[in-house]
Amino acid sequence: MDAGLFSQAGGTGVSTGRVMAEDAFEAVVGAHHAEIRRYLLRVTARASDADDLSQETFLRAFRAYRTLPAGANVRAWLFTIATNLGRNHFRAQSRRRRAYAAVALEAPAGAPDRADGRLIADEARARVEQVIGGLPEKQRLAFVMRKMHELGYAEIGTSLRCSEESARAHVFQALRKIRKGLDGHLPVGTERRS
Amino acid sequence: MSKMPASCREIEPHLLAAAMGEAAPPAAERVRAHVAECGECREELGRYRAVDGLVHAARRGPLPGDDATLARAQLTARLADLRSRMVSFGIFPSPLGPLLIGRSEVGVALVQYLPASGSLGGHVRRLLGEEAIEDPAATEALRAELIEYLEGRRARLDWTLDLRRTRSDFQRRVLEATAALPYGAVTSYAGIAVRIGAPSAVRPVAQALRWNPLPIVIPCHRVIGGTGDLTGYAGKRVELKQRLLAVEGVKAQPAGHHDFRVHREAMYTLMNGEVEYCLPTCGSLSSHPLSDLTLFGTRERAEAAGFAPCTSCRPDLHPLPA
Repeated sequence: MDAGLFSQAGGTGVSTGRVMAEDAFEAVVGAHHAEIRRYLLRVTARASDADDLSQETFLRAFRAYRTLPAGANVRAWLFTIATNLGRNHFRAQSRRRRAYAAVALEAPAGAPDRADGRLIADEARARVEQVIGGLPEKQRLAFVMRKMHELGYAEIGTSLRCSEESARAHVFQALRKIRKGLDGHLPVGTERRS
Repeated sequence: MSKMPASCREIEPHLLAAAMGEAAPPAAERVRAHVAECGECREELGRYRAVDGLVHAARRGPLPGDDATLARAQLTARLADLRSRMVSFGIFPSPLGPLLIGRSEVGVALVQYLPASGSLGGHVRRLLGEEAIEDPAATEALRAELIEYLEGRRARLDWTLDLRRTRSDFQRRVLEATAALPYGAVTSYAGIAVRIGAPSAVRPVAQALRWNPLPIVIPCHRVIGGTGDLTGYAGKRVELKQRLLAVEGVKAQPAGHHDFRVHREAMYTLMNGEVEYCLPTCGSLSSHPLSDLTLFGTRERAEAAGFAPCTSCRPDLHPLPA
């Protein structure tokens, strides 16, 4: 910008607090972006959605960062933002699907296309991801947060706007469905121990 | 499932918790005791343990599409863009009524007089757009300096300004010329037009100052009509202009309805381009239009701005009546 009259140096030092907040946010991005994107990749199953939603998560976080109380759990807070964005995304997606179905009678198949179509070597592990991908939304989100990212039930409850107990119930329900979905894939012999 | 004994149904959630390794010790003990007796549940526990193991393996294994590099680079660029558009603002009381100061990453972007009452939310949105964040701490140092200024305890606001809200290059030139007017001095709209090399653009100059995004800081209150009338300020609040000038030692007397006038015969006078200031009666000064002149309310202000008393009319020996 224009130097001279409008950029008298010396200044007042007023920017210090702001600059520190920004540096701190750089650190937040560095510490959490990859994990938040991985979370979103697991729950949306599309790399492009994970790209968009992870960016949006941090743009929102940046706007609100200075109002976050000191000592807040930044990681859990980011998961809450990502979860909200993910759920909005699912809603928009299902609206689009319904619109498609109405117009073209050509609703896409139920299972979302898995990321990049690359094959995972271990069949059972692939089956786990597949079953997780087919879970109802809240169970899927709760399960991924708990088992893939080790968040506490209270934090998961905050993200899903439900109680800690409901969060636990979602995870357990997910586990029951995964267990059913894996019937026949479970390693033989692990079941019996005397 | 429906035939499951009550004791098995009751233990089932604890069994899941135990399989995931998160059962509290008493519950874990109950599960241990139960599966020691119940073969079905023992097998079920084994299956859940196997599921938990597979989930762990899935977590540790590669995840197709798990490369955040591109998203991270795009995020960095979008954050930089967002930062440059963001304005932090504070609203606070002042001797001139409620004021808003907004600052961006670049500098101070906005100073606004706010209505004394009513909701400010919509007003602030209109002024600042969507990327505005109320953050009094970010503007606290600015607030303190501005109050000092309004109370006459400070003559300069050495702020870095963000002029991206200016509407045109023309307006920018007008604002720069206005910012160069010394503390305690006034000239006319035509005087600013002359200074920016567009002497016929008097009305456009007045329009440009009407949309000054940084009143007080860019002192449009020091620009008055050619007759000495203050003419207008902040909508219909010309009394604010009179008060700002009074703080700087420039007296404006009530004139007509709702206006004030600076009387040239009561002001020390500088011919533009000269280095000495004069009494208003010196030489042919009184026949010049105000656009050729800069007027000072006090000798101290003229001298603080770097001008010496004229050696022929000697304002230092014959000061104007206070």
